[in-house]
Amino acid sequence: MIKAFGISYDLKNTYRVNGIIYSIQQIPVIKRLFTDDLYASRGLKIFANILAALWEVISTFLGKYLYLLLLVALPAGFYKGGDAKGTAMHILLFLTVIGTFMNTYMFNPTNDKYYAMILMRMDAREYTLSNYLYSSLKVAAGFLPFTIYYGRGWEMNIGLCILIPFFVTGAKMTAAWLFLLRYEKKGVCMNENLPPKFAWPLTGILLVAAYGLPYARIVVPVRAFAVIAVVTVVSGLYSLVKIIGFGKYREMYQLILADKRNSVEMNDIVKKATEEQSRKMISQDTAFTSRKKGFEYFNELFIRRHRRALWRPARRTACIAAAFITVLLAAMHINAEVKEAVNRLLLIFLPYFVFIMYAINRGTSFTQVLFMNCDHSMLTFAFYKKPEFILRLFRIRLREIIKVNLLPAAVIGAGLALMLYVSGGTDNPLNYVVLFVSILVLSIFFSVHYLTCYYLLQPYNVNTELKSATYRIIMSGTYIVCFLFMKLRMDTFVFGIAVTAFCVLYSFIASLLVYRFASRTFRLRN
Amino acid sequence: MEFIIENLTKSFGTKEVLKDITFTFESGKIYGLLGRNGAGKTTLFNCVNKDIKSESGSFYLDDGKKEEIKPEDIGYVLSTPTVPAFLTGREFIKFFIEINEKSITGLRPIDEYFEMMNIEIGDRDRLLKDYSHGMKNKMQMLVNIIARPPVLLLDEPLTSLDVVVAEEMKELLRGLKSDRIIIFSTHIMELALDLCDEIVILNHGELEVVDKYDLDNTEFKDKIIRALKEEDDD
Repeated sequence: MIKAFGISYDLKNTYRVNGIIYSIQQIPVIKRLFTDDLYASRGLKIFANILAALWEVISTFLGKYLYLLLLVALPAGFYKGGDAKGTAMHILLFLTVIGTFMNTYMFNPTNDKYYAMILMRMDAREYTLSNYLYSSLKVAAGFLPFTIYYGRGWEMNIGLCILIPFFVTGAKMTAAWLFLLRYEKKGVCMNENLPPKFAWPLTGILLVAAYGLPYARIVVPVRAFAVIAVVTVVSGLYSLVKIIGFGKYREMYQLILADKRNSVEMNDIVKKATEEQSRKMISQDTAFTSRKKGFEYFNELFIRRHRRALWRPARRTACIAAAFITVLLAAMHINAEVKEAVNRLLLIFLPYFVFIMYAINRGTSFTQVLFMNCDHSMLTFAFYKKPEFILRLFRIRLREIIKVNLLPAAVIGAGLALMLYVSGGTDNPLNYVVLFVSILVLSIFFSVHYLTCYYLLQPYNVNTELKSATYRIIMSGTYIVCFLFMKLRMDTFVFGIAVTAFCVLYSFIASLLVYRFASRTFRLRN
Repeated sequence: MEFIIENLTKSFGTKEVLKDITFTFESGKIYGLLGRNGAGKTTLFNCVNKDIKSESGSFYLDDGKKEEIKPEDIGYVLSTPTVPAFLTGREFIKFFIEINEKSITGLRPIDEYFEMMNIEIGDRDRLLKDYSHGMKNKMQMLVNIIARPPVLLLDEPLTSLDVVVAEEMKELLRGLKSDRIIIFSTHIMELALDLCDEIVILNHGELEVVDKYDLDNTEFKDKIIRALKEEDDD
C-alpha cells in the first residue's frame, strides 16, 4: 500500500510540477526566457518540486487556519453577549456536518484518480485507501495546531482542543462509510461534483443552524459538543475499519469517473460549459429585426438577441440601487442620527464608490459575450479584420457598453445627490454635481477600460480559452486597485474632481491606443 | 495570376515548423496540400491569413503586376466552421453583402445564393447556432463565393461532412477554380487525388510539388507516400 501511495504521489507531483513550469511560461517577459525544453530541465524540476512540497505543507496548514479564522473564530466573535467558545464549537459542529458530504476527498472525481485508477490501471483499493488515509491525516494534522491555538484563547480544555481534529476526520469517515454502504446496498454512487438532491437544501439548513441559531441565543452546549465529538471519533474508527474492508472501489470509481472518459481536461469541460452557456444567452426569437444597415444592423441584432444577458442585469442593478436608496431615504426621514451619518459619509465616502462601480460594471460579461457569440467566429473572416471595420465596430460597441452601464450609474449618481440634499445638504452646491458626474464618469471609465483591454489584448484563442497572462494580470490589478480605494477617505469634492479628470484622460488615451494598435492586436490568439 | 510565398519562416519555441518557404501557386488550379499530422499545414494557412505572426515571409499576388496581398484577397475556410451564432443565415449574408458592397461584383439576390448552396428555404431564417456542421460549412463557403477572393484556403473542410454534402462541396470547388487559386489541405490521400490538380507536400517545414507525369493513381499514391516517408527518414 505504501508503494501504491508512493507511485500515486509521484504521478500527482509530476503534473503538479509540470503545471508550475507551465504557469512560469505564461508570465509575460519571463516567458521569453524559457522554451519547451524546460520540462526536461533537471534543475527547474527540482525547484518546482520544492515549490510543490512547500505548497503541500502550506495548503495543509494555511487552509485549515483560514477556515477556522474566517468561518469559525471571526463569526463567533460577532455575536454580542454570546460566549465565543460555545458559539465557535456550535458553528464548527454544523460546518463539519456540511463538510462530511460536500468535501469528501473520496467521492471527488479528480483527474489524478482517473489517471491512476482508470488509465494506468493501478489497484483501486490500494490507491484509494492510501490516499484517503493520507488526506485524512492531512486534515487532522492541519487542524491540530490551530484548534490548540484558538482553543487556548477560548480557555478550552486541552483535551477537547486535541480531540477536535479527530472529530472532524471521524465525521468525514463515518459519512464516507455511509456513502459506501449506500453504494453497496442500492448501487447509488456519491459524486461530490454532482451531490444528491438533498445536499444543497441540507447545506442551507445547516448553515442557518450554524450561524442563525446563535443569534437567537440557541447554542449547542460545549459539554454536548464534547460528547458528540467522542462518539464521532469512535464511529469514525469503526467506519475506518469498514472502509478498509470495502471491496468495490474499482467498480465504484468506474462510475464516478465515467465522465472523464470524454474529457479529462478541465479546460475542455469548462469550454463546453461556457459555450453552451453562451449559446443559451441568445434569444431564440428571430422576429427581432433591424432596419439599419451594415455594422449598425449587425450590432443592433447582437444587442437585441442578447438583451437578457446585457440589459436585464443592468436593469436589475438599477432597481436594487433604487430600492436601497429609497430605504435609506425613509430611514433618514425616521431617524435623525441616520441622516447625520449619511451626510457625513457622503462627503468623504466617494472613493468607496470606485469599488462599487467596479463591482456592478457589466464590462467583463459584455466583452465575454462579444467574444463567445460573435468575435470568436467573425475573427476567422478576413473582411472582419480590416482596420476600418475594426474601428467602426469599436465605436459602436463602446457606445453600447456605455449605455448599458450608464443606467445603474445614473440611478446611483442621482440617488447620492438626492440623499445628500435630504440628509441636510452641503455648503458647496457643486458637491451635488460632483457626486452625480463622478459616478457617471466612473461608469464610463470602466466601460472604456474593459472594451479597450479587450481590443488591445484580445485574450481568447479559437478554442475560446483565455490565453493572455497580461490580460489576467490587468484584470486582477483592476480589482486590487479598486479594492484599495475602499480604504481611502477623501473629501468628495476633491476626489470627485480628481477622479473625473483621470477618467477623461484615461478614456482619451485608451481610445487613441485602440485607434493606433487595434488593427494589429484584435485577432484570435494562438 | 500567381500567388507567391517568399521566405516564409515560422517557429514555435525552438521547433522550426516552416523553413524559409518560397513557392508559387498558379490560378485555375486546386492545390492539394498534404502532410503528416503536425507537419504545419494549419500553421502555414494561419501565417498566410496573418492570424499568427511569422519570423519572416512575404505574400504577393501577381496579375501582371506584383503586389503585396491584402486581407480581403484571402478566403479562409476552417475545418471547424465558425459562424456568428446570433444571426440567421439570411441576416449574416445580408450583413456581409452590405459591408462589402463596394468590392462585390455581379451581386445576385440572397435566395439565389442559398439555392446555389442547397440550403433549404426553411433553414434560411433560422439562427446559425442551430445549423448543422455541414450547413455552417456551406455558409462559410458561401461568403467566399460572394466575395470571390483570388486565394481560397481550405483547411480540411470536407473531413467531417456527410457524403452528400461532401460531394456537393467538391462540385462547387471544381466550379470555382477558374481564375483563382484554391489550396486545399487534407491528409486523406484519395480526396486529394480526386479533387486536386497539383499535389504539394509539406514535410520538415518545406513545400514540394509531387509531379504526376504519366503515372496512374496507384503509382502516384505510392510516390507521394514514398516522398513523405523518405523525407521523414532523413
